[in-house]
Amino acid sequence: MKQRDDWHLTDALEYDHGRGDPFAAAVRATRMPMVITDPAQPDNPIVFCNVAFQRLTGYAREEIVGRNCRFLQGPDTDPAKITAIRHAIKAGHAIDVDLLNYRKDGTTFWNALYLSPVRDADGIVRFFFASQFDVTDRVEAQTIINDQKLLVEREVERRTADLRAALEAKTILLHEVDHRVKNNLTMIGSLLRLQVRTIDDPSVAAKLESMLERVDALAVVHRQLYQSSDIARFDIGGFAESLVSDVVGSSGRSDIVLDIKPQPLFIDAENASALGLILNEILTNAVKHAFADGRSGTLSLKVEREDDQGIIRICDDGPGMPSAQRSKSIGTALITRLARQARAEATWNDNRPGTCVTIAFPRSEAPS
Amino acid sequence: MSDIMEVLVVEDEMLLAMDIEAMIEDSGHHVLAGAASLQDVEALPDSLNPQLAFVDIHLAQNSNGLDVCSYIRSHWPDALIIFVTANVAKIPADFSGAHGVIAKPFSHAGVVNAIKYLAAGVFDPPPSIPRPPSLLASPHLKARWE
Repeated sequence: MKQRDDWHLTDALEYDHGRGDPFAAAVRATRMPMVITDPAQPDNPIVFCNVAFQRLTGYAREEIVGRNCRFLQGPDTDPAKITAIRHAIKAGHAIDVDLLNYRKDGTTFWNALYLSPVRDADGIVRFFFASQFDVTDRVEAQTIINDQKLLVEREVERRTADLRAALEAKTILLHEVDHRVKNNLTMIGSLLRLQVRTIDDPSVAAKLESMLERVDALAVVHRQLYQSSDIARFDIGGFAESLVSDVVGSSGRSDIVLDIKPQPLFIDAENASALGLILNEILTNAVKHAFADGRSGTLSLKVEREDDQGIIRICDDGPGMPSAQRSKSIGTALITRLARQARAEATWNDNRPGTCVTIAFPRSEAPS
Repeated sequence: MSDIMEVLVVEDEMLLAMDIEAMIEDSGHHVLAGAASLQDVEALPDSLNPQLAFVDIHLAQNSNGLDVCSYIRSHWPDALIIFVTANVAKIPADFSGAHGVIAKPFSHAGVVNAIKYLAAGVFDPPPSIPRPPSLLASPHLKARWE
């Protein structure tokens, strides 16, 4: 039968619908490739195919009718999908699957197959109706997208691995540098202490002691920085508290009463050394001058927050110090210059009796 | 305080060992011996009776303070063991049975206060003075003095 006889194709179905049926005519003429198979015959052969199906597959009608649909399969057709189709046919279910099929000339196309059973009035499956649709473009586009996605993922993975390795190297380096800084600070302190012990001149020894206290204060700042999980911020409140108890405790002055009102107060880590040194100067000065010659008294430390400012107030109840004497010591110069560096402000007040030193400085803006 | 502690210093950095020994002597205590490695500690006579040992973690001859700690615990069970180290993170959670740690870089005040506090605990437990912030105590220290 030739193509021009297409009008008669559905006649061969020998079913209620055939010649003159508008639905059958639609199936014959649609651009959607379609076949009908008859499960009552051996091997469920194709009993009808429309022109669109012949165009899609490249086979003539004579080569199609009477054969099972599997002649469209080839070496790269997914066996799991074939099994799924076989199960659907056996169970009388509809199935919707993308299948790689082969044309007569051996070229392949992606076939969006929709297969559904056609039942009679008694519910018996009389035919299977299958529509095909060439979705090669869609599948190939999807394949390209998937391939590119895979490429991108591999590239991201590779770069992440590179970054991770770089971070690891950086962390090791940081630990190594940190370790060297710690060791060097410890050794500088030890060297100074060993030297101090050999000096007989009390005024020279006192100056070296002051130097040693400064190195020790830096060491404590560094230790607190590396032991904290947050390297961007520094708890100057906690530092002040431990510095006061350290300095007064090691002076052996049990006659100095401590009145400490501490709280955590965070500053940017870059200002930690400067503010740490300032606090050290103020505290060691207070112990040396306010409580000189065995004079007992009270040393108070108050840590306060005021808006975006931190305030540390250190007061003694000693005799107070004339300002002329203050301006001559290296300690006062250190405090003034370091305060400028850390954008802090140090003010001295008469405590009647004694002296109050107030340091106001910006708090850390880094999130906690 | 008239009571004198016998102290062992295990430190491979000689400068630091000299410094720590000086601080111990200045605090009125007695340095029994200095050692730079586990091997040095093992060579010490069992007849010693240290009340306190300062032990660095990284030691000479590829030895480490954790092994020194076990050796001290089995030979001189009465000794308090305090690690002195920049490697606080390397100390296991149970401190290997040690009683505390002083982190490097230490300050003169920090070490002297720790010695004072430990001496108070050795001779009249528990110590009447507060624990200085420079000394981190392990649970074993509390258990010892309860």
